[in-house]
Amino acid sequence: MKKVIVHPERCVGCMQCMLACAAAHSRSGTLLGALGEAPLPRSRIHVGVGAFDEGFPNRCRHCDPAPCMLACLPGAIYRDASSGTVLVDADRCINCASCAMACPYGVIRYHAVWDGPPEKIVAVKCDNCLARQAQGLVPACVEICKSGALTFEAPDRAARRRTDEVARSVSSGAICPPPAPGFALLAAHKRARAEVPAG
Amino acid sequence: MTHHHKGKTITQDGQLLLRKAETDQIETVWDRHQAQLPQCGYCELGVSCRVCNMGPCRVDPFGEGPQKGVCGADADIIVARNLGRMIAAGAAAHSDHGRDLVEVLAAVAEGRAPGYAIADPAKLDRVAAEYGIALEGKTAVQVAGELAHAMQEDYGTRKKELTLAGRAPAKRRELWRRLGIMPRGIDRETSEMMHRTHMGVDNGWQSVLLHGLRNALSDGWGGSMIATEVSDILFGTPRPCPTQANVGVLKKDQVNIIVHGHNPVVSETILQACQDPELLALARERGAAGINLAGLCCTGNELLMRHGVPMAGNHLMTELVIATGAVEMMIVDYQCIMPSLGTVAACYHTRMISTSDKARFPGMEHHEFHPPNALEKARQIVRLAVENFASRGESYIPVEPVPAVGGFSVEAVVGALGGSPGPLIEAIKAGRIRGAAGVVGCNNPKIQHDQGHVALVRELIANDVLVVDTGCAAVATAKAGLKTIEALALAGPGLQEVCGALGIPPVLHFGSCVDNVRILVLAAALADALGVDISDLPIAGAAPEWYSEKAVSIGAYFVASGVYTVLGPMPPIAGSANVVKLLTEGLTGAVGAAFAVEPDPNQAAVLMRRHIEAKRRALGLEAIRV
Repeated sequence: MKKVIVHPERCVGCMQCMLACAAAHSRSGTLLGALGEAPLPRSRIHVGVGAFDEGFPNRCRHCDPAPCMLACLPGAIYRDASSGTVLVDADRCINCASCAMACPYGVIRYHAVWDGPPEKIVAVKCDNCLARQAQGLVPACVEICKSGALTFEAPDRAARRRTDEVARSVSSGAICPPPAPGFALLAAHKRARAEVPAG
Repeated sequence: MTHHHKGKTITQDGQLLLRKAETDQIETVWDRHQAQLPQCGYCELGVSCRVCNMGPCRVDPFGEGPQKGVCGADADIIVARNLGRMIAAGAAAHSDHGRDLVEVLAAVAEGRAPGYAIADPAKLDRVAAEYGIALEGKTAVQVAGELAHAMQEDYGTRKKELTLAGRAPAKRRELWRRLGIMPRGIDRETSEMMHRTHMGVDNGWQSVLLHGLRNALSDGWGGSMIATEVSDILFGTPRPCPTQANVGVLKKDQVNIIVHGHNPVVSETILQACQDPELLALARERGAAGINLAGLCCTGNELLMRHGVPMAGNHLMTELVIATGAVEMMIVDYQCIMPSLGTVAACYHTRMISTSDKARFPGMEHHEFHPPNALEKARQIVRLAVENFASRGESYIPVEPVPAVGGFSVEAVVGALGGSPGPLIEAIKAGRIRGAAGVVGCNNPKIQHDQGHVALVRELIANDVLVVDTGCAAVATAKAGLKTIEALALAGPGLQEVCGALGIPPVLHFGSCVDNVRILVLAAALADALGVDISDLPIAGAAPEWYSEKAVSIGAYFVASGVYTVLGPMPPIAGSANVVKLLTEGLTGAVGAAFAVEPDPNQAAVLMRRHIEAKRRALGLEAIRV
C-alpha cells in the first residue's frame, strides 16, 4: 500500500505543500476559492526551520499504535481500517488538546473546519487526502512537491531505493557527486553563515 | 535583557533599542525575517521563474522533477534572466535618482527652483567641459541648462557611448567595446534587459549576463555618476568635516527631525528649513532648545558628506530609531524605506512624511515635493515637526554619539594628498599601504547587523589596507569609531604612518550608495597615473551585508570595471553551476575580475588581501603571502 514518505534532505523549504494542503482541505478545493472561505482552511503539513535555516516538512506519521488515539478519552480519534490513516471525528472531539500533548511530532492543530460542526474548534490533522485518493489522485502535498521531498509510494520501494543509494555511495572507487550541487552549495553557505563567530 | 538581541546586532544602541521595542511590542525586521524562515529554496537558488503566465515555473535542483520551465528555459537561463532583472531594477533605481537631480538642475537653469542654486560652479564647469559644452561668455545658469540637456541625452538612445564612461582608463574602454558591453544609454540598457529577459528573446545565459554587465555599467558610469556629480554641483562637493553617528545624535531637549531615503533633493531643503530663524524661534517658543536634524541611510549620508549632519543609523536601525520615542518627524524620499515604518511610528508621537510622487507608504502623510515648491513645503513640514514637540511622551536615547569624519570626495582626497594621487601611489609602491578596499552596501538580517562591515574593515586596516566606504557600510564603521584619527591605533604601522601624516582616518567616508562612483573615479585616476587598467590595481571591493537590487548592480559594475568583489550573502544563483562558475571564475578571463561569496568577514578579508598581494606581485611590487 502506498504512503506519503518524507525525504527531508530534499526539502527546499518552499512551503508549497502547505498551500496545496490548505487548498485541498477547503470547501472549493482550489487555492483561489479557498482564500475567500470562512473558516479559512489551514494546512495540515507544517514546514519547520532547522538549525541552518533549512526546511523540514512535518506531517502526521499515522503512528500505530498512535499516542494521540490512546490519549483521546471521547474516542474521537480513530483509524481508518483500509488505509491505516488516523482520523478525527469532529463531532466527537471536545477540543481538550490531549492528543496534541501526546503527539511526539506536534502535528495536531485546533480550529474550525468547513466540513465539521459550524464554528466548533476541533483537532485537525493530516487525513492522507483520502478524499483525493478516492478520486485516483495522490495526496495534495505530494502532487505539488517538485523536489522529491514528499513521495507517495510503497514503503518497501522507497526503502529499496534508499538502500541502493547507500550501496552506491560505498562502492569502492565510485565518485558520488551530490544529487544537487547547487543546493549543496547553498546549504554549505547557510551553514557557514550560521557559524560566523558573533561580534 | 539584551542578551538574546546580541546575535542580531553588534551595536549597543541596536541591542538596547531592540529591548525597548520588545517592551513596546514593536515588530522589527528581525521578527519578520524569523517568521519567513525557512525561505523558499527555489527562490534562494534562483530557479523559480515568474516572467510569464505560462508559469510560474521552478526547476527541481535534485534533477528528478521538472528541469525546464514551460517555455523550455533550463536552470541556467532562468537564473541568468532573474539576475539580469535584479541588475535592471538596481540600475533603474540609481539612474532614476540621477534623473531627478538632472531635472532639478534643469529647473534651476529655468528659474523654476527657488530653493536650489549652483553651489559648486567650478565643478559645474569641469563636468560641462567633459560634455563638450563651451563655457565662454555663459553664466553658470546657462551652462547648467546645457549640461542638464546633455545629461538627459545620456539617458536616451542617441549616444553610442555614455559621456562619463570616458572617465574609465582607455584600456578598460577598449575592453568594453571588444566585449560589446560599452554602455550606450542609461535607460536603454535597463529597457533592453527587460526586453531580453521577456519570454523568447535572449536565451543565451552568457549573453544575458554580459548584457547585465553593460546594464550595470550604465548605472556606475551613467546614472549613479550623474547623480553624484549633479548633487555636488547643486549642493557642494564634499570636504572633510566632523560629524557624529548612532542613535545618540538625537537630542532630548530639541525637536528631532530625521531624513531617510536617498535623494538629497528633499533633504537639502529640509536642512535649509531647519536653519530658518522663524522656525527656530517657534521651536524655542514651544520649549525646545533648537531643531536637530539627523540622517538615516543614504539621504543622511548625502547631508553628512556636505554639511556634517549627524547620522542616526543605517538600514536595520530605521525602525529602532523611531522606538526611541524622541523623533518628532521622519521625512522620507525613496529607496530602502521599509513599509513597516508607519506602523512603528503609530506607537509613538512621530509624524511620518512621504515626499516623492513615486514613493508612498502606509501610515505616512504625503506632502509632495517638486522643485518649484520644495523650500516652501520644507518650511511647512518642519513647522509641523516643531509643533509636534509638545506631543512627545517618554523618550529613550540610550547611548552617547560616536565622533566621525565624513566628506571624502575624490577632490577632497586628492586635495589632502597635495593635488595629485602621486603620494598615495608612492605609499602603495613602497608597501606602507598594501592597497585599497571599497566596502559598500547594505544591512541584511541574515548577517549580524554591522558585524560584516566592522569586522572586515578592522581586519583590512590592521593589515595596512586603506578602506573607503559608502552607504550603510560607511555608517556601520562610523558608529564603530573607525572614522576618527584615534582609529589609526587600530591600523597597521604603514597605514598609520601615511594617514597620520595626512591627518586622515584609516577609513574614509566616500558617501551614499550612488557615491560608489567616487570609488570608480579614484580607481580610474590611480590606473591612469600608473598607466595600467583598473583590474591591474591592488584594490578589492566587498558588500558584506548586501540586500538590495541596487547592490547587485553596484557589484556588477565594480566587477565589470575590473574590481574583484566579495559578497557576504549568496545571491540567488546557486541553482546554476554554469552561472556560478562564470561569475566566480569565468569573468576574470573577460573583464579581469570576478565575484566571490564569503559570509565570514574575517575570511573575506583574507580573500581580499590575497587578491591585493597578487596584484602587487603582478605589478612588480614587493608582495607577501596571505
